[in-house]
Amino acid sequence: MPKLRMTGRGLWITVLLAPPLAFVALFIVYPIIAAFAYAFFDWQGLMRGEFSWLDNFHTVLFVEPYASWTRNAFTHNIMVFFALLVLQNGLGFLLAYALWRDMPGARFHRVAVFLPVVLSTIIVGYLWKLFLHPLFGVVNQSFRGLGMPWLAQPWLGQDSTALWALIFANAWHMVGFPTLVFLAGMQRIPTEILDAARMETQSEWVKITKIVWPLCAPSATIVFVLLFVGAFNWFELPYIMAGLDGSPYGSTDVLGLYFYRTAFGNVSSGQQDFGLGSALAVLIFVFIAVVASIITVRLRSREIEL
Amino acid sequence: MARLALRGIKKRFKNTEVLHGIDLDIGDREFVVFVGPSGCGKSTLLRLIAGLDPISDGEFHLNEHLMNDVPPSKRGIAMVFQSYALYPHMDVYENMAFGARLMGLDKAEVERRIAETSQMLRLDELLKRRPRELSGGQRQRVAIGRALVRKPDVFLLDEPLSNLDAALRSEVRLEIARLHREIGGTMIYVTHDQVEAMTLADKIVVMNLGRIEQVGSPRELYERPANSFVATFIGSPKMALIDVTRDGDRVGIPGGGTIALPNQLAAPDKAFRLGIRPDAIKLTRDPNAEGFKATIVYQEYLGDNAFAYARLVNGTMIGARTLPNEIYDPDEAVTILIEPGQAHFFSAEDGRRLSA
Repeated sequence: MPKLRMTGRGLWITVLLAPPLAFVALFIVYPIIAAFAYAFFDWQGLMRGEFSWLDNFHTVLFVEPYASWTRNAFTHNIMVFFALLVLQNGLGFLLAYALWRDMPGARFHRVAVFLPVVLSTIIVGYLWKLFLHPLFGVVNQSFRGLGMPWLAQPWLGQDSTALWALIFANAWHMVGFPTLVFLAGMQRIPTEILDAARMETQSEWVKITKIVWPLCAPSATIVFVLLFVGAFNWFELPYIMAGLDGSPYGSTDVLGLYFYRTAFGNVSSGQQDFGLGSALAVLIFVFIAVVASIITVRLRSREIEL
Repeated sequence: MARLALRGIKKRFKNTEVLHGIDLDIGDREFVVFVGPSGCGKSTLLRLIAGLDPISDGEFHLNEHLMNDVPPSKRGIAMVFQSYALYPHMDVYENMAFGARLMGLDKAEVERRIAETSQMLRLDELLKRRPRELSGGQRQRVAIGRALVRKPDVFLLDEPLSNLDAALRSEVRLEIARLHREIGGTMIYVTHDQVEAMTLADKIVVMNLGRIEQVGSPRELYERPANSFVATFIGSPKMALIDVTRDGDRVGIPGGGTIALPNQLAAPDKAFRLGIRPDAIKLTRDPNAEGFKATIVYQEYLGDNAFAYARLVNGTMIGARTLPNEIYDPDEAVTILIEPGQAHFFSAEDGRRLSA
């Protein structure tokens, strides 16, 4: 058996690796495992009670009022995912195509589109809360100024528009990310392939759907999977703009908020239930992990090497 | 039917003009080769004909129709790219069917054309393969096939052989010549390889620095080059250009010997350039022979023949064909004899051919 001897280099590597490993173990691995364990116990606030098998899972999925809360939040996550798929990834693809084709001002717009991405979600949330203020916000002021007062709505204050306003703010914030990834993907396409396509068709639509899109498949996989994970983990923006209750009337409630409220309580109800919260967290985790893996495998199979 | 007419074609990128007014006529079924050193503008000119880049100035007519603003797909022109540019996500069949379908052909016609083309190019076995699963030569054939199924009036080929190894290159060259005979379309072929140009072309267009230097058949270019650029570009090893001064019917290099004027020369120039191809030169060790004095630099042995390179007293390098068993040593002193009737004369100022 070869002897393991500590060389100078090995020592360095150990010294550099140990702190982050300890950090990850303590604050990421341990909580995940702990959450799995907690989900199987009955909790009284922060006091752990009896081992309760799958009771917590049963409660959040099938016992009222939890079951309808879960359904409500989950439905909203699905809406967010599909809306952002169009608004964020779809628009991002088109923006990338426009930037790639070097339309006038492409250099400026490349920066402009990506700039909001570097802002923190906290800033974007507060910013859009101000923009969407019913009386003084720049959005409604603009609608009134443009002679369209019927569009001056309390966007965040009514249940029919609140979730869409959040989705819009999120798309504004993040659209630069898929744009950048798609742009990188398009820049990998050899120009002669596009020239070959131009010899055969002048339709931008054909070029986009039959040539550019299939050859951008690796980029699509990345942004699609990341969007899926992001949409079902959605928390910061609704937390800042709509509050822990997903106001108004739970119309912006999503799994992230619902989990946080259940586990840690909120302003109006001090009730905490680690068991139900952990069960929710585990369900979200398993759902995301399973679906994201399936999506990744499916999308990978349609990628081709250039 | 395809006749192309280029009139005063210019191309500018930003402030740099890369083509300075190209005038050229290409007849139906002609095989035309654009040849020239890299950066001479031959590929740029091809892209203007294809419509991939806009023409800055001048007019391009195809069968009497102005093509300047016609998109590439509507010109009736197909192109074979240097990198083949096959669609990597489509199999061979789809690569060929893509353009044909976009022309609005019905399914049966597309299938018929692909069957015909794949048989002609021996692609039958490969139709279900992706480009990645093909060898270089096979990809090349698919790229040609993709152009063929569209039955275009004009084929453009941009350095189609440059990504193939030497053995395959001469094979595909023959293939292209055969194709041109069989399908009879007008072909425009870009290359920097003069062997490809000489063997394939009905008409060669020699380009340099964004201008056409000469247009003519391979024989015309070789036997009557219009200027010293064409003279040295066509032929290998290249023609030697020797600066000489004339005294009556004798020409000489100062301090390097004089010879009788090998050909008739009507032009009155006192100083000009003598152009001599390697096969028109004989070397001799006889120091008293009437010729130019030179020193051997090195010799290349090619089996069936050999080339000796020697330096004249004025520093000019010349190449001479020798017999394979005729050995010269470096630094050996020789005299260069020029076969009568085999010399070309070029102006010392601008390099143009001087009348005989």
